Amino acid sequence: MRSQRSQRHAVDGPLVWFGGMVEHCLDHARARIKRGGHVVGMACEYTPRELIMAAGGVPVCLCGGDADMIPAAEEMLPSNLCPLIKSTFGYSVRRENPFLEMAELVVAETTCDGKKKMYELMAESRPVHVMELPQKPGDQDAMRHWVRELHKLKEVLEERFKKRITGSGLRKAIALMNRERGLRRDLAGLMKAEVPPITGLELLGMKSIISCIPSDLAQYRRALKVLPGRILKPSARSRTRVLLTGVPIPHGAERVVGLIENSGGLVVCQENCTGLKPILEDVDAAAPDPMLAIAGKYFHLPCSVMTRNDRRLDSLHELVRDFRPQCVVEVIWQACLTYDVESFRVKRLAGELGLPYLRIETDYSPSDSARIETRVQALFETVRGRYKS
Amino acid sequence: MIFAGIDAGSRTVKVVVLDGTRRKVVASGVADQGVRQADLAGRLLDKVLKKGGLRRKDIRRIVATGYGRDAISFAGTTITEITCHAAGVREQDCDARTVIDIGGQDSKVMRLDADGAVRDFVMNDRCAAGTGRFLEVVAERLRVRLDHLGALSGRTRNPVPINSTCVVFAETEIVGLLASGTAPARIAAGVQVAMAARVAVMAGRNVTTPIVFTGGVAMVPGIARALARAIGHPIRTAEQPQLTGALGAAILAAAGE
Repeated sequence: MRSQRSQRHAVDGPLVWFGGMVEHCLDHARARIKRGGHVVGMACEYTPRELIMAAGGVPVCLCGGDADMIPAAEEMLPSNLCPLIKSTFGYSVRRENPFLEMAELVVAETTCDGKKKMYELMAESRPVHVMELPQKPGDQDAMRHWVRELHKLKEVLEERFKKRITGSGLRKAIALMNRERGLRRDLAGLMKAEVPPITGLELLGMKSIISCIPSDLAQYRRALKVLPGRILKPSARSRTRVLLTGVPIPHGAERVVGLIENSGGLVVCQENCTGLKPILEDVDAAAPDPMLAIAGKYFHLPCSVMTRNDRRLDSLHELVRDFRPQCVVEVIWQACLTYDVESFRVKRLAGELGLPYLRIETDYSPSDSARIETRVQALFETVRGRYKS
Repeated sequence: MIFAGIDAGSRTVKVVVLDGTRRKVVASGVADQGVRQADLAGRLLDKVLKKGGLRRKDIRRIVATGYGRDAISFAGTTITEITCHAAGVREQDCDARTVIDIGGQDSKVMRLDADGAVRDFVMNDRCAAGTGRFLEVVAERLRVRLDHLGALSGRTRNPVPINSTCVVFAETEIVGLLASGTAPARIAAGVQVAMAARVAVMAGRNVTTPIVFTGGVAMVPGIARALARAIGHPIRTAEQPQLTGALGAAILAAAGE
């Protein structure tokens, strides 16, 4: 019989594995380059990874989560700009993101004005291809335009990497990406349990900035086997279930999630781009035209840049039903205009669903941590209602 | 049975000692905040207890609140100021549905259920405009004592508009206004209007009445009136508004029985 300690070790194995995420991604990227692969930078979930993969590319998410990169960025960018954009750009200025330094191309998009204009500056020192994302999700012309943008990207990739993107190459990439999305979906689904086996912070850490690394997929499968039944301390039962929505929480910027969970909360559902949003829908693997199928999946992403972004509210509705949170916390990076404005609709929806709602506007500096804690604790006191006089 | 509430705020510490059986305040006190917050609060508590003819061992439970609540090591429980202010208001004014609390470094608006529980709340983010700190900065600039600021602003019917929404920029704006010869009374009144406008935005459009005003800033004459004008509803100022949080903490200490 194995000792308790080694059992614990076996259960936590996948969590430990993802603790070395950056190193694994570096190893993977270097190995792929050796075999003729091409690192491609990206900073948005609208970027169709399947296309890049079918061109022999290795898409890497460049979204910066490090506050230390911001001062360098502010020499060129306004200080009143989203910290994610500033941090990403700071890495570029300081040449400190090894993946960006390996990248032969950055695939950019027009998902927000701040990023769009930042890419112009980034393009002064690196090859950048900008995809224009139309912003009316229900509009057929918008979809046609998006399909055209995907074809343009296809040509750019084929030209640069001297490789034809074939239908079978796309289908292979679709199958692989769908497999990873499915595994990550199942993993996130563990949080539906009455007593979830991991924290939201742990779940947030269980992914990579490079998709579909074979050893990652193996760890996801292992995690799904070993994690159910794992006991959290303090007990998951005693914590307030939180649905987290709003902006993405890139690697290194997990402070708010930590504050929520250290104040007696358990983030059972993350609706944002670093959570469920990009993995809820697969690409239709059986569709006759893989380009159309890819375009469709990505165009459905309910980002706040879309108007109207009703899909996000529908999705939130379903997630509330499935994950049964007791409150909603929305995180907005300072100066993120679209999420900031849309927060009004999210708050209204939370009210309709009878869920207390807290909006936290912050950036990467810890100076407001005590204030955030107070608000989060007050939210949980409200949920528990146990201090009625 | 005796209970105590300690509100360790950013500028002052407040203590309320409550007779839980008779549900009456036995004694209370306020002291300026300092460096060793737990010692400070402890000394204030002992002073207040002495006033009431009591000793520490008479206290059944202590609840600490306020931004320094975690530093009060001798408190049995900590509860956020949001829940405590609601409880304090509820004790004095049982039909209150909205609480506006303006303290030294933050301002918040709480909406209460009909049964007095907090339904939701908003609190200023990383910004001191619309807080007591704003008034302190202004008083310093105008070279008046903080407790004279209200009287000063009462001397004019013509507040000057203060447009900056940040304390630091507002200070620069005030320096400019003084340089151009604007009367200090008009500036003081303008600051009250600006503060009230910020809090009104936080309160939103659908404010449920009655509205009760708490926190140290509620003691400054004129602010409640400026708030009432900005929100469009009458405002009741809590009885001893600086003590509402500590009172709530003491009530919740007693409710823990």
